Amino acid sequence: MASTINTNPPAPGNDPTEGLITGEHTYETITDKVSSIVINQRKQPLTWYVIFGGAFIMLNVMMATIVHLLFKGIGIWGINIPSGWGWDIINFVWWIGIGHAGTLISAILLLLRQQWRTSINRFAEAMTLFAVACAGLYPLLHTGRPWVAYWLFPYPNVLGMWPQFRSPLVWDVFAVSTYATVSAMFWFVGLIPDLATMRDRATNPLAKIIFGCLSLGWRGSAQHWQRYEAAYLMLAGLSTPLVLSVHSIVSFDFSVGIVPGWHTTIFPPYFVAGAVYAGFAMVILLAIPTRALYGLKDFITMKHLDWMAKIMLTTGLIVFYGYLVEVFYAWYGGDKAEMEMMHNRMFGPYGWSYWMLITCNGFAPQLLWFPRVRRSIPMLFILSLVVSLGMWLERFVIVTVSLTRTAIPATWGYYTPTVFDWSMFLGTMGQFLFLFFLFIRFVPMIAIFEMRDLLHKSHHDDTNGNGHGVNGHTEAAPIGTQTTIPAGAGE
Amino acid sequence: MDTEQKQTFDLEALRTKLASTTGRQYWRGLGELAENEEFIQYLEDEVPQATRSMGMYVDRRQFLTLAGAGLALAGLSGCRFQPQRKIVPYVKMPEDMTLGIPSFFATAVPSLSGTALGVIATTREGRPIKLEGNPDHPDSLGKTDAVTQSLLIGMYDPDRSQTVMNQGEVSAWKEFYSTARDAFARQRTTRGNGVRVLTETITSPTFAAQMKNLLVQFPEAKWIQYEPEGRDNVRAGAIAAFGEPVNTIYKFDQASRILSLDADFLLTMPGHVRYAGDFIKGRRVRRDTKDMNRLYVVEGMPTITGANADQRLPLRPSEIEGFARAVAQGIGVDVGGTPVPTFNGDNAKYLTALIKDLKSAAAGTTLVIPGDFQPAPVHALVHAINAQLGNAGKTVLYTDPVEAVPSDQLADLKTLVVDISASKVDVLLILGGNPVYTAPVDLRFSEQIVKVPFSIHLSAYEDETSFLSKWHLPEAHFMEAWGDIRAYEGTTSIIQPMIAPLYDGKSAHEVISALIEEPREGYQIVRDHYRSQGVITEDDFNKILHDGVVASSASKLRLVTLKPGAASAVSPAIAKPSGSTLEVVIRPDTTIGDGRYANNGWLQELPKPILKITWDNVAVISPATAAALHIPYDKESASNTPTAELTVRGSKITAPVWILPGHPDDTVTLTLGYGRERAGSVGSGIGYNAYNVMFSDTLWNTTGTLEGGKGSLPVATTQHHYLMENRDLIRVGSIAQFTRSSYDKERLSPDDLEEQDKNEKGKSHVVEERPNIYNLDEYKYPKDPNNAIDKFGAYSWGMSIDASACIGCNACVSACVAENNTPVVGKDEVLRGRAMHWIRIDTYYASDAAQSDAYFVNPKTYFMPVMCVHCEQAPCEPVCPVAATIHSHEGLNMMVYNRCVGTKYCSNNCPYKVRRFNFFNYANHHDVPVRKLLNNPEVTVRGRGVMEKCSYCTQRISLKRQQAKQIGVEIKDGELVTACQQACPTDAIVFGNISDLNAAVSKLKTEPHDYALLGELNTRPRTTYLARVNNPNPEIESEASQSEKTRGDQQQRG
Repeated sequence: MASTINTNPPAPGNDPTEGLITGEHTYETITDKVSSIVINQRKQPLTWYVIFGGAFIMLNVMMATIVHLLFKGIGIWGINIPSGWGWDIINFVWWIGIGHAGTLISAILLLLRQQWRTSINRFAEAMTLFAVACAGLYPLLHTGRPWVAYWLFPYPNVLGMWPQFRSPLVWDVFAVSTYATVSAMFWFVGLIPDLATMRDRATNPLAKIIFGCLSLGWRGSAQHWQRYEAAYLMLAGLSTPLVLSVHSIVSFDFSVGIVPGWHTTIFPPYFVAGAVYAGFAMVILLAIPTRALYGLKDFITMKHLDWMAKIMLTTGLIVFYGYLVEVFYAWYGGDKAEMEMMHNRMFGPYGWSYWMLITCNGFAPQLLWFPRVRRSIPMLFILSLVVSLGMWLERFVIVTVSLTRTAIPATWGYYTPTVFDWSMFLGTMGQFLFLFFLFIRFVPMIAIFEMRDLLHKSHHDDTNGNGHGVNGHTEAAPIGTQTTIPAGAGE
Repeated sequence: MDTEQKQTFDLEALRTKLASTTGRQYWRGLGELAENEEFIQYLEDEVPQATRSMGMYVDRRQFLTLAGAGLALAGLSGCRFQPQRKIVPYVKMPEDMTLGIPSFFATAVPSLSGTALGVIATTREGRPIKLEGNPDHPDSLGKTDAVTQSLLIGMYDPDRSQTVMNQGEVSAWKEFYSTARDAFARQRTTRGNGVRVLTETITSPTFAAQMKNLLVQFPEAKWIQYEPEGRDNVRAGAIAAFGEPVNTIYKFDQASRILSLDADFLLTMPGHVRYAGDFIKGRRVRRDTKDMNRLYVVEGMPTITGANADQRLPLRPSEIEGFARAVAQGIGVDVGGTPVPTFNGDNAKYLTALIKDLKSAAAGTTLVIPGDFQPAPVHALVHAINAQLGNAGKTVLYTDPVEAVPSDQLADLKTLVVDISASKVDVLLILGGNPVYTAPVDLRFSEQIVKVPFSIHLSAYEDETSFLSKWHLPEAHFMEAWGDIRAYEGTTSIIQPMIAPLYDGKSAHEVISALIEEPREGYQIVRDHYRSQGVITEDDFNKILHDGVVASSASKLRLVTLKPGAASAVSPAIAKPSGSTLEVVIRPDTTIGDGRYANNGWLQELPKPILKITWDNVAVISPATAAALHIPYDKESASNTPTAELTVRGSKITAPVWILPGHPDDTVTLTLGYGRERAGSVGSGIGYNAYNVMFSDTLWNTTGTLEGGKGSLPVATTQHHYLMENRDLIRVGSIAQFTRSSYDKERLSPDDLEEQDKNEKGKSHVVEERPNIYNLDEYKYPKDPNNAIDKFGAYSWGMSIDASACIGCNACVSACVAENNTPVVGKDEVLRGRAMHWIRIDTYYASDAAQSDAYFVNPKTYFMPVMCVHCEQAPCEPVCPVAATIHSHEGLNMMVYNRCVGTKYCSNNCPYKVRRFNFFNYANHHDVPVRKLLNNPEVTVRGRGVMEKCSYCTQRISLKRQQAKQIGVEIKDGELVTACQQACPTDAIVFGNISDLNAAVSKLKTEPHDYALLGELNTRPRTTYLARVNNPNPEIESEASQSEKTRGDQQQRG
């Protein structure tokens, strides 16, 4: 599809598609490779069952926690006064942050015409949805009375009450729900051609019906393609500001408050950077095992990992800069409370968390300057884990460390999570993995048609140099008709 | 139902059964037919009603009978809470009693050592729900204390004993009376030789008359009064000085220089409510104030009295006598040949300056007060000092004793124990008290009491003593029974019952009466007594009931002369530490007293002043002693407080060790009241029992050894950090600074002066380098240009809290709990940081920055009550996503519980951290119906998951607003008081309409030392504070060090 908008020839010697597909692949093998994971349900690796089983257990732990929570009250968590928010909000922000990479890859990289997004965008988007699903649980359940949490939505009611539109929590409701909706639409629209492929290839009658329904009658006609491309581009345009807005608004939850350590104007950009940072770490964390498990190393190549690592490094530097600026302004602003807040962050009872944060998010990613580190799968995996931990700590430092030491020392407190904070957090991880493993088993996890387009392009480039609209046209334009329809030869 | 069950069928039995029945039978299954057990069980589980009708057939007649009886019974229970006797309301006559309108009755409650605090009880629909001070009562003057405010929850305590018990078996009053009357009848032959009556300190004239009657009938019987806080030292001191047990009362409002020798007169001395008010009268600093009184406190364990001192000197209690002698000698009292100890260093400087100050004051304007727990010779010395200073008759008054029969309580108790072990005691009638728990450990009272053939214990709980007595009788709460009681200076009040006994309790009056004469009801007993005292007409009696006091019944003033040589008496010295021993000091607990309030959840959860501990007692030591004993201290978390083992003469207790700055070294302070075994579900099994190391010869002060490293325990505190961290929270200055700045009082508060001093000296300060971005004066009330009155013409509610007047006594906290249905959350929740009090007393330590050691040795302690300050620009309001916290046009920051979804954002954004959250369903956690009777119907009981906070007692505002509207007037200043304000013994809290420029609160807000807490945040709080002004002695503290600075680099948990 990129071919329809990419009219500029790539710069010589800097082929954007180089190394994005390795191995000897044809359109057929790509389709086979990706669709067979879904079609051949019996050939799932044992690892799938192990991880899925573990995730399912954790999901049930979460369910049990939620039941207990609804029954007893949020007092089962460690939150208190002064620390009214704890792991609930930390984890909410953490999950939302993780959710950022998907849309960024899909939308922004699409608009920027980055070819390498092709093989990772599908599952990154899925990851976004599942992360947002995990995140969404927290704001709901962290309320004292979740059964009336719908009051945060503006809806006509007999009370004649609107929400308090000045509250960042109301902005959150809009931001997160919009983000979730647009991301889901974006993901689904992107799936349609592949769902049609699956419909055509499925042997199981039930799968045929389900994929048939989901593919919305896609026949791959040129008109379909034309409208599809337009819709997809529009959704990308819609999503792009959302990537920036969601985490900006989430950061307002803090920066609008007057708590020392929260009341900072740098929060929106540095939260967004942090979100992308965390998101890419999670994409890498998911991509590495998946490509090994399903033999997708030809599609998710070292080049992908390398480039993702570079983005991680870039956003990591922005985040690190944010930390430094926070320290600088605490000093330069001259506000005593801010200065003491910063001192407390570094040397207070939670000082360990700040230094761990700086190590994880500030220093550790500097290793990514070295190509050897970027191209080492184990190093990359470990660094992504470190970054995920670091981003969690960042929220911990912001939420807990700030709240436990506010303006009046007599009210200073300490926050300790309980077993239910843990079970809820591990439970959401379970939910995330549960959904993700369902996804890789039942939905083509790599965009087949885009991979074929990519293959075409790289092949085309290899054989025909810059002959983009000349010879290539006969091969390239009717991708849908030539490849999708014959694949569904049953009709 | 199916396969398994079918196997259990006995077909043969089934056939027999079918054969034996007649007529047509219907059954749903074979199981039913067989009346199979499992089937019935199944049916019971599935259809509960079905089995009842199967098992117990009720026909129409029976049903109607039962229904009728049920209705009648329901009606009966409705009558339960009405007093049976007509009682006289304070303000409104009984015919005024309208549902929804409270009635007020004057009565009195027992306070410390058998003395009374006069109160006005608020009753709603026959239920007492709140106690306020009685303005006509000399101790109260309309004020109360924390304990009084918490007494009602004790009345509605479901743990209270409900039946007569005979050796562990449920019995009845009738059975008890028949047995006991026989026993007493038998004793008549021996003139009551074997009868002993044990009570607590009795001031009740009626009870005394009854006892007199008993002793006439049984001349050989003995009446013993014993309670741990029996004031034996005070009595013995008076006898040593004057030859008779006169009662001493103090006039703090007349004194300009006050010296307290280990006397905690603001909290734990009879008359403390009055004393606190009188004391603060001499310290109120307003615009034109030039002078104020000066308080010297020499004490061991830091108390709130010490915290209010201008000059506090920590000394071990054993050193106090020497100090008193030195003071006596210094002012010219002949102390005889007793050696006077010499003091060194700071102590000598303190002593010299103190003596000079006392001597230079005009005669009769000083006041020296000895502590109740100091031995008699200290009291005698102090009487001599007061005489020398000309205080007798002026600031110190002597009266007839208040007790009906003054006695040496401990000696009497010892005699009783000797008599019991000599088998001389046949009948032991214990009316109130809990001697098995409270008697000194060496008397082994628990081993003795079981030897008494006929022991009776009347008490509100089935406690330790009840358990070992033959008979236990449930005692009516003083809110349920008639009686009378005297105040610290003798004024008599009649106790009116507010409610019929909830359980089957009777008063001590009634029990005595039933045992030795024809039984009379409590009302009759009291009425008869007053008739015999000349109160003949009902009108006269009703006037007493209405006023709450018997007019001019105060003890007669006495002019006593000092016995020669009174000041030279030598004390049976308080044991002093030597070698590896420590001085062990035992004191009543500051909330639950000697243990009598152990089952009172409100008092248990009330943070103990200074310590801020709830639900526990601790062994308090100084930082230096902790270091010497290698007791570790955890800086931030109270959840693992180290414990240590204390050994006193072979008796051991294990207690959590609390390291408190300002506590004297080589001393450990224990508090009583904990370690109860049979207190009830709230008070049993918490803390350690300090009575286990209390010996009858050393009593309050002894020695022992402390050994650390015995593990750790969680101790729940409500405050973890005691330093201001250089923040501008409590502003403190001296009266000298305050008066000096008269040229510019409109603008300067003491701390401004401090800044100014610094500038003049050329010292720079971080604060000055910053531009002044907020012009705070602009937002001062009532100058606020956006004041609501201009817009709405409405009331603008505001509050002023005088930090100089706050003595940190907790009365406001307790009153707020009682007024606003604040739930008790329990120790675990307090540990988690979820205490629900709407007011907290922030306590800070400060010391001269130049002397870092002073922080540990003798810090200044400041109190600051903080509740919702009702910000004009409240940070909580815009962040609530559902607009559950909003501003009223009268300036209240309101909490709409029904709308709250519980995001807790408001609390996070509140810089004052005054919001409290219902993490669980605290209010209905224990679903005990009787507890609900206590709730104030004007205040919503908050459910789970909602935020709550101080509402400025919005229900009281609404009530007054309605009343004023009905008669078409404005609410007058002073007419409307908040619960905390009403309780505050020192009037530190003033509430009112700040748009009325003549209102007391508006005037306070124009005082030069008025300031807004965290005003720099531009929240524009409606509650502002008056800076604390001290009156330090310049000869002890140089002026430079008077500018208090907290040390920012130290973190200390007390």
